Amino acid sequence: MADAPVFQSPITNPTPAKGSLTLTDESELTKVSVRGAHIAVSFGTCEQRGDVLVVGSRPDEWTLLGPADAVAAVVSGLDLSGFASTTDITHSRLMIRLTGDDAARAMEKACGIDLSDAMTPNGAAVGASVAKVTCDVVRDDVVSDGREAVRSYRFLADRSFGQYFWDALRDCTAEF
Amino acid sequence: MSFVSIRLPSAGSEVIDRARPVTFSWNGKKLKAFTGDTIASAILANGDHIFGRSMKYHRPRGVLTADFWDPNLFVQVDDEPNVRAAHRLVENGMKVTSQNVWPSLKYDVKAANGLVGRFLTAGFYYKTFMKPAKLWPAYERILARFAPGGEVDLDTPHGYYDKRYAHPDVVVAGAGPAGLAAAIAAARAGASVMLVEHEHQVGGHLLWGSDDDRAAAAGMLTDARNLGVEILTNSTVTGRYEDNWLGILQRNHHIAEERLIKARAKMLIVAGGLIERPYVFAGNDIPGVMTSGAVRRLITMYGIKPGTRAVVLTANESGDAAVADLERAGVEIAEVVDGRTGAFVRSAEGSGRGTNHRLSAVTLSDGTKIDADLLVTAVGWTAPTSLLNMSGDRPVYDPAAARFFPGKTPDNVLATGGMVGDGTHDQLVAHGAATGTLAAGRAAVVQHRLQAATARAAAVDGPEPDYPEDLRTPLGRDPHPALFRSTTHGMVDYSEDVSSKDLFGAAAEGFDSVELIKRFTTATMGPSQGKLETVNTVAVLAEARGETIAEVGTTVWRPPYAPITLGALGGRVFEPVRVSSIQSYHESKGATPILAGQWIRPEHYDDPQAEVTNTRTNVGITDVTPLGKLDLKGPDVPKLLSLLYTNKWMQLPIGGVRYGIMCAEDGVVLDDGVTARLGDEHYLMTTTSSGAGGVWNWIENWLQTEHPDWQVHVTPVTTGFTSINVAGPNSRKLMGRVVAGVDLSNEAFPYMNVRTGTVAGVDDCVMWRIGFTGELSYEIQVPAGYGLHVWEALLADGKDLGIAPFGLEAQRVMRLEKGHFIVGQDTDGLSKAPTTGMTGLLKLDKDDWTGMPEVKWALEGDYPHIVAIQPTDPNCVPEEACQILRGPESNEIVGRITSSRYSPTLNRSICLGQLSPEFAEAGTELTVLLVNGERVTAKVMKHHAHFDPEGERLRG
Amino acid sequence: MLLVPCPNCGPRSSQDLTYGGESHSRPDPKTATPEEWRTYLYLRDNPSGWLVETWYCSSGCRRWFKLERHTLTGELRDPILPGSKTGVASDEATNIQGGTK
Repeated sequence: MADAPVFQSPITNPTPAKGSLTLTDESELTKVSVRGAHIAVSFGTCEQRGDVLVVGSRPDEWTLLGPADAVAAVVSGLDLSGFASTTDITHSRLMIRLTGDDAARAMEKACGIDLSDAMTPNGAAVGASVAKVTCDVVRDDVVSDGREAVRSYRFLADRSFGQYFWDALRDCTAEF
Repeated sequence: MSFVSIRLPSAGSEVIDRARPVTFSWNGKKLKAFTGDTIASAILANGDHIFGRSMKYHRPRGVLTADFWDPNLFVQVDDEPNVRAAHRLVENGMKVTSQNVWPSLKYDVKAANGLVGRFLTAGFYYKTFMKPAKLWPAYERILARFAPGGEVDLDTPHGYYDKRYAHPDVVVAGAGPAGLAAAIAAARAGASVMLVEHEHQVGGHLLWGSDDDRAAAAGMLTDARNLGVEILTNSTVTGRYEDNWLGILQRNHHIAEERLIKARAKMLIVAGGLIERPYVFAGNDIPGVMTSGAVRRLITMYGIKPGTRAVVLTANESGDAAVADLERAGVEIAEVVDGRTGAFVRSAEGSGRGTNHRLSAVTLSDGTKIDADLLVTAVGWTAPTSLLNMSGDRPVYDPAAARFFPGKTPDNVLATGGMVGDGTHDQLVAHGAATGTLAAGRAAVVQHRLQAATARAAAVDGPEPDYPEDLRTPLGRDPHPALFRSTTHGMVDYSEDVSSKDLFGAAAEGFDSVELIKRFTTATMGPSQGKLETVNTVAVLAEARGETIAEVGTTVWRPPYAPITLGALGGRVFEPVRVSSIQSYHESKGATPILAGQWIRPEHYDDPQAEVTNTRTNVGITDVTPLGKLDLKGPDVPKLLSLLYTNKWMQLPIGGVRYGIMCAEDGVVLDDGVTARLGDEHYLMTTTSSGAGGVWNWIENWLQTEHPDWQVHVTPVTTGFTSINVAGPNSRKLMGRVVAGVDLSNEAFPYMNVRTGTVAGVDDCVMWRIGFTGELSYEIQVPAGYGLHVWEALLADGKDLGIAPFGLEAQRVMRLEKGHFIVGQDTDGLSKAPTTGMTGLLKLDKDDWTGMPEVKWALEGDYPHIVAIQPTDPNCVPEEACQILRGPESNEIVGRITSSRYSPTLNRSICLGQLSPEFAEAGTELTVLLVNGERVTAKVMKHHAHFDPEGERLRG
Repeated sequence: MLLVPCPNCGPRSSQDLTYGGESHSRPDPKTATPEEWRTYLYLRDNPSGWLVETWYCSSGCRRWFKLERHTLTGELRDPILPGSKTGVASDEATNIQGGTK
């Protein structure tokens, strides 16, 4: 078999969302878990550094999300003095983006977190159960062409839930 | 006299739309009504006034309260039983039938119960139908026919029920004038508000009041809408739980039959108003006896003339207003009995059979008997304080006002409106507004605290505001005569057919506390859940005991406030499903799936026995992705492994693999698996599939709470690697074709070692030489995005080597042939580590490992042993969990079969089992009790492995 | 459903966390008698009053912490992270929806 290996997303059937909301499969992005480094992104927030989103996922634990080269560059620039480690979790996690004005209302059908702007503003990061799957959720509104930012959430969850999770989110969009 | 309700001329107050008629059927008759009619008003308009029969005595029943709580109006609508006819709106084509009647409403044979009523007093089922016990099945069959309620159609198509979460600042339960005012004021003060109203329109009692009342309601509705209040009509707050966690049921949501909202409110305002109390007297359940609210609603909202000649017992404004409404509707007022002067109604009688049964005469306290077909009572109110009670409050009885009032609510729950006092419209509205403002102020403080305390929230603006004190001017309390029971006995709980006589009887029998009498007589346990009958029950019990109502107290209210369908509670199900990256292959080959926890796994592709044979002869591959994998990094990993496992881990070389058993602190086997050292400070631990999540939590607990000083980072990578087990005599050959960068010779890569390299062009794969199946085998862990690619490469490159996939079942047979125990199958919740037989791994000289003390003490005594067992008859495959007995004649259990299969390799049945030590010696003959009752013999084997006990294949 | 004050995330519904039960200390496994060990395994004080209990924020920050909860009134005190002093920060009830703070 001489075929070069091609990355396969866990979402084998990415049927588009209904109505005004969009679902995007971002599972191919490189994801690296960093522990113990000194990164100036506080727990519960995230920061875009070029092409890489740096998420304060847990106390003393960050997740870097982005294209492989960009993430590698950020990792090489980290202060890993003291007890620190990095683990590649690209293949361990699915990643899905839900975008649209009604994104919070759709999420409300599967998630008990307060998604108001005060409690989950743009740039917020939180671990939560969505459709009974434990996820990392990041609010990362989409800005395009100088228009107003559109509400958007990105979900990181265990890869094996892939198709189920996509279908569950899609089901939540049906009302809108 | 016979009687027919009629439709009154159009009025501005009505909620029906005469321009949109509907047709429906009632007990087979086709009837006409209007959009906006309830089923009850629609039936009344057509001249019927009997809706069903009471639960026990099958007495004909008609309208009592004409609202959601009416206990007499349960009907079957199409395939839906127990529909409240005075709440459900009529729709075109509805098929409505009465319940609890046979053969028909008119000629209900079960009404014979009335004649044997003496034997059916409260609690009769504790006394009758008890002896002889052997007749219980017969009694059950008979009683089942008399069980009230409609019919359930098991073929009813499933409906869609939805769920949603919400986080409103303020929830207002009840949209009467005070509730509306509270919602408006809270929204004006900047709070996000959800207003929940039980009925189809907001307004509460304003809807059947004056034109000004209705205009006020419409005005407040507009204000609320403009302020962005989320208004949910035909919805109920079903329960209030800790910290204002609320269940809110939306009926008839536009995308679902019902939607359950789980809301975390910062403040709850309870504005449920007042519920009118029925009067207890002989004949109080005769059709034609109604509350003042019932007639006012029927006349004003539905244009129904409720009778022709009326007696009105009035003790308050509602009764007085009912007189005026009746006169306007053309009902002859035969007598107005003023309850405030001490007069009352003694009894009522009816005439007519079946569906013609109706009130015919009323006897007053002074003995006067008056002909009438309508008796209206207005004897007082009950505050529905349930939601407040769910927040910890016990209501307090005020004798002057003759009703219960809220006591003390927690800071995050407020009450307003009729529930807390009386007043003019403006006073109720003002109190509601003050309540809304107060709620919004408190919600703002809670919001500030939440934001300040929550890591991901937006930064707060300034310091925390002061928590507002409750400085509302209380509403006054109008005096009201205490009118609960007349001088005769009547119905107290209409839906359970419990009369005041029953309550007196029960009290005399010793059921003299309100909690006991409720449970013994079932009073308040019916569909109205106490709204109409709790206070009367308390009052009657007080009478019977010679106590005051305050002394008797009330029962405790629990959720739900109103009945809630099981569909709403459990209908929206999220059931996660997990699959590996090779799932599409398994499906395309038609593998029989098996559910293992949340995982779907291939059990077998074709014949599992053939899969076993092929693997032991040629080479097989299997997908073992669900096996737990934990990435461990840090200088203190060996210390962690030493703590978790029973054996020693400080000297594992890089590239080495060791097997370990984990115990809980009670010495019971928690999990097992192999752990590899990949680098200086880098290890990879495996766990069982079902243990993956649990072991991760277990490790985090130890690291965080007992050893926070240890430098270890744990990352779960169970699904980050697709795990493929390549097993069989040809496995090395096959690996040689796909692996790059690793010397696969036995000398360079021996058993119980790990290497990393490239497989089928995929870098960073981890390869283990381990062997659950007992064959020469390699477990390849591939970054999951390339898992399917490697699987397909193996199948292609192994064709001429006789490769075939094997499923979970074949793997289980092979591991059993090798005597490998499975935690949770061959061990159970009581199996301490010594039971596994791996006593060599239990290193008691270590400093500490989880469960060590218990294992040490277990080793000093007796414990069950896992042994390999072979039935004498090679074709007998005992069912798993078969008991093993002391001897062929004995019934004493000394062990059980824990795993059992037929082995195609040995051509006989093979088992593992647990045995008490007395029987665990090799060669012992055993008696096995099969499920069909047969006793067969079996033998204890020397090794756990039935096949290749020296493990030559593994280590080759 | 209780609002549990996770010291890292902030207050969260109890279904986002895993309850660890009453806080108890582990005896020395080398010297503990069977009675001491089994007390550690199975016996709890179960007070009517203030109880120190453990919680694990399993859906969120994945950190263990201790909380003092009054088993009758439902009052809560500030949460305690492992490694902090075992005493409590303040004697006041700190329920987020309550009047006093």
